[in-house]
Amino acid sequence: MQISIASVDSVIIYFSKEISQETSLVVKRAYSILKELDKKDFIEIIPSYTSILLTYDINTYDFQTLKKYIEELLCEIKIDENEEKSIINVDVYYGVDVGLDLQNMSDKTHLSIDEIIHLHTSKLYDIYAIGFMPGFAYMASVDDKIAMPRLANPRKKIPKGSVAIADNQTAIYPKDSPGGWNIIGKTAFELIDKNLESLSPLSIKNQIQFNSISKEEFLSQGGVL
Amino acid sequence: MIGFEIIKSGIFTLLQDRGRFGLTHLGVSNSGVMDEYASLIAHKMLGNSLEDNLLVVVFGNIELKAHGSTVLCVTGAKCEFFVNDVSVDTWKNVKLNSGDIIKIGKILEGQRVYLAVKSGFDIKKEFSSNSTTVKEELGGINGMQLKKGEFLPYKSSESCINNRLKQNFIPSYDEEILTLRVVLGYQEDNFSQEEKNKFFSSIYDVTADFNRMACRLKGEAIHSSLDGIISEGICFGAIQIPKNGQPIILLKERQTIGGYPKIGSVLSIDCFKLAQRKVGSHVRFEKINITDAQKKLKDFYNIFKNE
Repeated sequence: MQISIASVDSVIIYFSKEISQETSLVVKRAYSILKELDKKDFIEIIPSYTSILLTYDINTYDFQTLKKYIEELLCEIKIDENEEKSIINVDVYYGVDVGLDLQNMSDKTHLSIDEIIHLHTSKLYDIYAIGFMPGFAYMASVDDKIAMPRLANPRKKIPKGSVAIADNQTAIYPKDSPGGWNIIGKTAFELIDKNLESLSPLSIKNQIQFNSISKEEFLSQGGVL
Repeated sequence: MIGFEIIKSGIFTLLQDRGRFGLTHLGVSNSGVMDEYASLIAHKMLGNSLEDNLLVVVFGNIELKAHGSTVLCVTGAKCEFFVNDVSVDTWKNVKLNSGDIIKIGKILEGQRVYLAVKSGFDIKKEFSSNSTTVKEELGGINGMQLKKGEFLPYKSSESCINNRLKQNFIPSYDEEILTLRVVLGYQEDNFSQEEKNKFFSSIYDVTADFNRMACRLKGEAIHSSLDGIISEGICFGAIQIPKNGQPIILLKERQTIGGYPKIGSVLSIDCFKLAQRKVGSHVRFEKINITDAQKKLKDFYNIFKNE
């Protein structure tokens, strides 16, 4: 663990130099520890792939005091392999009418569309970071066979609910947005819900299971083609 | 109903407060006022809570009609300001009566005019803040900039503290070169001493690519030994150095994570000054250590504490 200055009132805590599932588990554990303190003087805590950005109240801590405190607090993080994972199921309609890059991916990978769907739904994904826009969760890792680089020409508009792949990551677009990810399907699952106190049903600690559904089921869930 | 009727909204008038906190882990921006000095002065003069909301006018040309009495304080950019077609000074409290017409015409110096009323506007917060973030459809009225015909309710207030800010506390927004103090950090070790020297000795121009999210600068390119980094949390004032070497200063409506190398962060109180700079104006960077930076920040907020 390395703690660096980010700004006058923020530090960035690095847990590793490389992305791995183990590092992500350490980040999540550290994030839980920091959150559970429920400290008013920890103003923002942003977990990401290998780091946590912490914005703090400088009336409570100067940099050195905070650094020492965090080092002691997080010095011996133990990953609990048996920790219960909270799985969120996301139903996806993988049709070529909404999965705009499915055919192209099939051509490039020499896999049938059914095989691509099978590979995408046969893994449980961890969330490594949430950002870019509210509710946009970077999930990994997709099977190497369907890992696909971003489009050379990003689209001006990717429709809300699109399920997409970029390299070994997968994600759902929470709203219409420009973007360069390969679109393979669409879901009616809402990532941002203003009726929820937490604003989003997701947190970095969840795991995601994608399930393939028919066009009829998708439409009956409120999905829009 | 008691409040302002919006007769002319201006192009991009926003309701803001100090920001929306505690949701960055979901990618929700802090948002909030870009120039905390001008906005907090307005609240202090009115005897408001520093957490109250106010209006931010960026392109001028707004007109409001008061329904019910209140006290108004306009601060920030120098502008044409009229009450019932009579020119009025800014940075002072103005008693408003029912029927008064408030106009902000052209902005003359600076970028952002703040318009606060006694106790703020009575608008429901969204996720603990009134700050409008248009791209997230959060805060303000329906997450949008104000529109003609909308109504901004306030509590009727008769008492007017006759406050006027002393001239020497009123900032000037047209100094030739604005100095931005920088706390080195993040990937600073990946910038050689030579590159750092270039960074601290050059003068940069504020480009047109300047909004609530970020300010892009143009000048001497600087380079790090990194192509990109693993996406990580971005704090207020962070200075990203993309491949083209032109610094980008991340401001209130920045995205929460990003993958460009950063040399450090501009001291927040200097970002407030930057918020009033126009396209084409000049800035330079100056190093400040963390201890001094924290002292400067504390001194800044001490101005607003109640005696």
